[in-house]
Amino acid sequence: MIHVGLTHFLVVSAILFSLGIYAIVTRKNAIMVLMGVELILNSANINFVAFSKFGNLGLGGQLIALFIIILAAAEAAVALAIVLNIYKTFTNVNIDEIDNLKE
Amino acid sequence: MELSNLSHSLNLLLPELTLSIALLVLVLFDLIFHHDKKIISYVALIGLLATGFFVINQFSLSGFAFSTGNESYRNFGMITIDSFGSFFKLIVIVASVIIVFFSLSSDEIKKTSERIGEYYALIFGMILGMLFMISATDLILIYLSVELLSLSSYVLAGFTKLRERNSEASLKYMIYGSVSSGLMLFGISLVYGMTGTTNLYMINSLIQIPHLNLFTFSFAMILIFAGIGYKISSAPFHFWTPDVYEGAPITITAFLSVASKAAGFALLIRFVKITFVSYIDTSGFWQLIHVFDWKTLIVVISIFTMTLGNFSALWQDNLKRMLAYSSIAHAGYIMLGLAVLSNQGLTAMLIYFAVYLLMNLGAFLVVMLIANKINSEEIDDYDGLGYSSPFLAASLAIFLISLTGLPPTAGFIGKLYLFVALVDANMIGLAVVALLNTVVSLYYYVRVLKHMYLTKPETAIPEIKTSKPNTILVLVLLIPIFIFGIYFTPLVDLAKGCITILGL
Amino acid sequence: MSLYDIIFYLFAAITILSGFIVVTSKNIVYSAFSLLFTFFGVAGIYVLLGADFIAIVQILVYVGGILILLLFGVMLTNKITNVDIRTGTIHVLPGAVAVGVLMGLLLSAMVWTEWKTQPSETPVTTTVTLGRLLITDYILIFELLGILLLIALIGAASIARREQE
Repeated sequence: MIHVGLTHFLVVSAILFSLGIYAIVTRKNAIMVLMGVELILNSANINFVAFSKFGNLGLGGQLIALFIIILAAAEAAVALAIVLNIYKTFTNVNIDEIDNLKE
Repeated sequence: MELSNLSHSLNLLLPELTLSIALLVLVLFDLIFHHDKKIISYVALIGLLATGFFVINQFSLSGFAFSTGNESYRNFGMITIDSFGSFFKLIVIVASVIIVFFSLSSDEIKKTSERIGEYYALIFGMILGMLFMISATDLILIYLSVELLSLSSYVLAGFTKLRERNSEASLKYMIYGSVSSGLMLFGISLVYGMTGTTNLYMINSLIQIPHLNLFTFSFAMILIFAGIGYKISSAPFHFWTPDVYEGAPITITAFLSVASKAAGFALLIRFVKITFVSYIDTSGFWQLIHVFDWKTLIVVISIFTMTLGNFSALWQDNLKRMLAYSSIAHAGYIMLGLAVLSNQGLTAMLIYFAVYLLMNLGAFLVVMLIANKINSEEIDDYDGLGYSSPFLAASLAIFLISLTGLPPTAGFIGKLYLFVALVDANMIGLAVVALLNTVVSLYYYVRVLKHMYLTKPETAIPEIKTSKPNTILVLVLLIPIFIFGIYFTPLVDLAKGCITILGL
Repeated sequence: MSLYDIIFYLFAAITILSGFIVVTSKNIVYSAFSLLFTFFGVAGIYVLLGADFIAIVQILVYVGGILILLLFGVMLTNKITNVDIRTGTIHVLPGAVAVGVLMGLLLSAMVWTEWKTQPSETPVTTTVTLGRLLITDYILIFELLGILLLIALIGAASIARREQE
């Protein structure tokens, strides 16, 4: 069996990315879609860290991953606030059922 | 980074710094003056004017700020200041100032006057994000500024939240937005893996290596385009636009349709030009590095975008929704200027944006003033408006005619320069498609005029009176449309002077 | 197969399996809890990549912050006593096929692309270097993130607050 290298990490990240896309495409629930987005962000982060290690690019990639984690937290806070707000209005968080706007 | 370098960088960043300080002052004043919130609007206005002053000051300036890394690429920075960026920053600041005046007279915003501090703080967050989007030359900074813009606009789209459709707009915007920015980030990570850097200038020199995997690279570019395309609401990433534009408070709708779009386009243009242009030939055409076929992508997307926008606008009965589709169509027209990939096309885009700012904000302003009184944006409620409130109806008519692109309005000049750029680049087929689209758009703009002037209302409607400041605001947007429609040389000269994108 | 390899496969399996449960589970509460393991698995992968600080931040922020937020969202928006939590999946088959194709393309791209690689020495501890980078080369992004957090704070508070009326 070959030694674990860059490709192995990238394969994990590619699978996580695809799972995230799957959640976004097939799920209606707003929070589920957000979870899918979190999976995508994590897969991008694995890429950044792996590339910066195997490409000998210094710690730039790690720092970018750090920024993205912080950003994801900010985004999740705003997103959850919006979901809660809409839940108060509609008592339902399925995207497809929120369709007042389509006429 | 040495201190001298830092002070040099900060000097180039004065508009952004001013805006950040204004943002903090706003938050503080909101806490101190919680009885009389009137002062907040004036603070916001002063902050914007100061920022505008520094932007204008920067017009002749150019340089790189915040260079990263070691000696080998010290020349390039995270931020590039050039006249192209200053032009777009000016567009954003002018739009913001007008939006502050909008907000002062909007009934929707007045109802939430307790939270006006938060409102302006979030608007300033949006503006800051846009300014960084316009001048960023590092993929991570680009991603971050897009997110800053997005986070504030998600909240603002649902700001009034008393009406159901506001929260709905907010949710849709947020869900689709976070997906598209996640895709963009994954694309950025792939580019980082292939080139080892996130700096656009470095990528430009690194993608010329022979063994670049074109499939992976194209995949990454499409993902990055998803993030930018979402911001400029180009098809197929446009689907949020009608819902959000209709559901958001109208001040925010107007702001999104002009400023957010301008920032997105500035980002797209800068990204394509810095990353992919290898040299500019003598007649001003950009010669791209053959790694990704931007020309085909942009041509296809722009045709798709404007056709879809125009044809969907035909069936809309809500004026806000109609203007949303019309703004999608306009994004398509503007993309044509980029598809040409030449300095001439870029000039045409800049002219178009200056004109689009006036006419689109004007149309939204009149719709807002009318909605303030009749509490509706439905086209049927505009019946007979031409006789009951002649001033508003006439201004709306002129804004819509300008949006169609008929002479003698400024909209004609914008379209003319775009078409000339297309013809000069031998893209006559594309020009014909755009022309046919304009004809289609005539139908739905004229439909509004028909309702205002030819349809008899079922019940007599009272005159909609506009206050003096509002009349002045309408005139401020209206008069330049005529001036630029006839005497357009200064605008064209300004645009021609602003096509320098540093680095080439 | 060295110990490093075994640990990698362990974490990779945790990440992917739990990620799979996240996206396929009918019950959104299971999904949220499964996401916990995904985040842990990713943190383990960071450690294997020599990113100790990032791994800690991943656990602190993702598990301690984001996941809790998501759970709050789930609990506050669904009566969990009610069995019928509406997360009905739509278009599962076409979705799965499309994503399968995407994954195939992506995997082949990941394997065949010539990435920028060089033999490298990862420092024993990354915290010092990260801190230094944070206030030198990446100072602008660091400061901008500060403003972004402020905006997120204002925005979230503004929208989640109950109206007085």
